[in-house]
Amino acid sequence: MSSPADVDTVGGPPNSPSPLQIRASNSLNSKSHRAPLTKQPADLHLLEYVHEPDSNLVCLICHAPFDRPVQLFCAHFFCKDCLEHAWRAQHDGRKTCPTCRSSVDPDKDLRPVPKIVETMLDELLVKCPNAQAGCAWVEQRVNVHDHVMLYCEATLVECAQHDCRLHISQKDFHKGCLHYTVSCEDCHTSMMKKDLEDHQRTACANRSTNCPHCDTTLLRLHLDAHIKEACANVTIPCQGSIVGCTFTAERTQTNLHEKSCPMATMAPHFRDQQARIERNEARLEPLTRKVGILEDGLSSITNMLYPANDSSTTFPVTNPLDPNISYSFPPTNLIPTPDFRLPPASFPPVPHNESHPSQPPFDSQVHHLLTLHESLRDEVNRIANALTELDGRTNMMVINESQRTKDEMLHTNAAINGMRMQLHWLMSATLQQRNSARTSAANGSAGGSNARSTAQGAGAGAGASVARPGPIGDFPNGPLRRLSDSTRQDTKL
Amino acid sequence: MSASAKKRIMREYTECMKDTPAGMKINFDEQNMTKWEVLMDGPEGSVYAGGHFKLEIIFPNEYPFKPPVVSFRTKIYHPNVSNDDKGSMCLGLLRPDEWKPPNKVVAVLRLIQSLMVEPNIDDAIEPSIGNEYKENRKEFEKSAKDWVKRYAK
Ligand SMILES: [Zn+2]
Ligand SMILES: [Zn+2]
Ligand SMILES: [Zn+2]
Ligand SMILES: [Zn+2]
Ligand SMILES: [Zn+2]
Ligand SMILES: [Zn+2]
Ligand SMILES: [Zn+2]
Repeated sequence: MSSPADVDTVGGPPNSPSPLQIRASNSLNSKSHRAPLTKQPADLHLLEYVHEPDSNLVCLICHAPFDRPVQLFCAHFFCKDCLEHAWRAQHDGRKTCPTCRSSVDPDKDLRPVPKIVETMLDELLVKCPNAQAGCAWVEQRVNVHDHVMLYCEATLVECAQHDCRLHISQKDFHKGCLHYTVSCEDCHTSMMKKDLEDHQRTACANRSTNCPHCDTTLLRLHLDAHIKEACANVTIPCQGSIVGCTFTAERTQTNLHEKSCPMATMAPHFRDQQARIERNEARLEPLTRKVGILEDGLSSITNMLYPANDSSTTFPVTNPLDPNISYSFPPTNLIPTPDFRLPPASFPPVPHNESHPSQPPFDSQVHHLLTLHESLRDEVNRIANALTELDGRTNMMVINESQRTKDEMLHTNAAINGMRMQLHWLMSATLQQRNSARTSAANGSAGGSNARSTAQGAGAGAGASVARPGPIGDFPNGPLRRLSDSTRQDTKL
Repeated sequence: MSASAKKRIMREYTECMKDTPAGMKINFDEQNMTKWEVLMDGPEGSVYAGGHFKLEIIFPNEYPFKPPVVSFRTKIYHPNVSNDDKGSMCLGLLRPDEWKPPNKVVAVLRLIQSLMVEPNIDDAIEPSIGNEYKENRKEFEKSAKDWVKRYAK
């Protein structure tokens, strides 16, 4: 089954929605500017299932097969909506498992159910939710959303009349607003126009009639079709009349004649041929448009790749708001432009389609443009590759360069460290000198006043001067003392 | 009431139809499916044997997140059924704090049937009848049978 996104890209260019696009126009990624057909998606809880579903697949809250089930850590399964509903209904705001009441942390304890469960749910056979309105669709549940939103003829949509708030089934949408009162010609009951056909089919008291030709009893509604296609007594021409047979008689006679009429045996073939030609003509229309778009795209590619050929005024596909786009970066800006949204798969597979050999000139034109497009794309890819390579090389260079700088820095660091060590050594040497100088000075004064305690005084004086902070004020005298005390210093060290 | 809740009641009715507990009949009106009428025979061997009781099950708007409301429309002499014209019952899984959304009506019907065979004295809504059942079983049985004759024939 095709998803809505696929459907969206099938068909003509974006400004001419195909019927499928109109149907899909309320899917999220639709670009159509028409008023969307607002449809209610099917509620899986309300579906009718063809078979009794396995009890293991049934949600204990809604008693229907799970819809987007989640698993709690206690291994109990519920529909996502049912669980949330159960929690909303709990007045104290606690979140617990509805089956076993163990408390649940919705951030941690909710897990997706095993894949196989989801597959089994997807494969359940369901009836169309619009079965009451006459849709006989029965298929796997996974497809019900697409069916209701895209294909079901009985899905209700908003009436095309913009001031009409009522709903109408999709199959009658194109008939315009049918919300006016009519009277059934056969029984003179009034009803809405949209209900008339149903009424004539099932409810009208006067709905049966007899065929004026063969007296069969049938629905008035089907009378025209009966006369045209089935009635045995109506006079019809031989099928071969399109090739020239002139036989005309009642249907039964004509059927007999057709068995032996060579022209009648040829007729279906001719009709097929005719239909094929018409089909091809219809297909030609969008293809021509597509070619136009491709040509535009190609010329813009050409402009980008060879800007010398043309002035920059013919740049329909570059974003004018972005001044950074230069000629050197076509690949990223070129491919996502709207004109290139047509995927290759949606091209008519003409070149290898044997059943349409009658359009060679057209095929080759498309083919030519396609090859041109392909080669241009290749070129763009090559440029992109070259850019990547260049980028890599630059990166490498930068890395190498920075590595060298780093090495140099390490060197310099080491040198600085060495210098610091030297400086340190020098500093400590200086300090040491200064200390010993002061000690000798103290010794000198002590010796002057008290000659007996010279030995102990030297030790005590040295200790005191070490404990004191560096006597900066003494600094200017330092060199002088060092000169006088240099011999003692050497012995102390 | 939400469409999916109606659908659930519909499905439960179908399930009940397939597997109705013995001696029960359910009257179901599609126009008003939130009110079921149940006709229940007094279980064989119990004091209520031979009686026919009419019950009403009403589904609240919040069903299945709130329990259904069960009441006896036929008077019954039973410790778990209120002795007034409401005939209401409120015990076990019928209590709002005991009720779980996965519970089914069939379970409720079975509970009622088993209570008729053996009342739950610890949870009596009519303590005087409960006491009588405990202490003077003869008297209780006599009254119960008497009520069956009077109201449930
Ligand atoms: Zn559920
Ligand atoms: Zn649980
Ligand atoms: Zn349908
Ligand atoms: Zn209308
Ligand atoms: Zn009529
Ligand atoms: Zn006829
Ligand atoms: Zn013929």
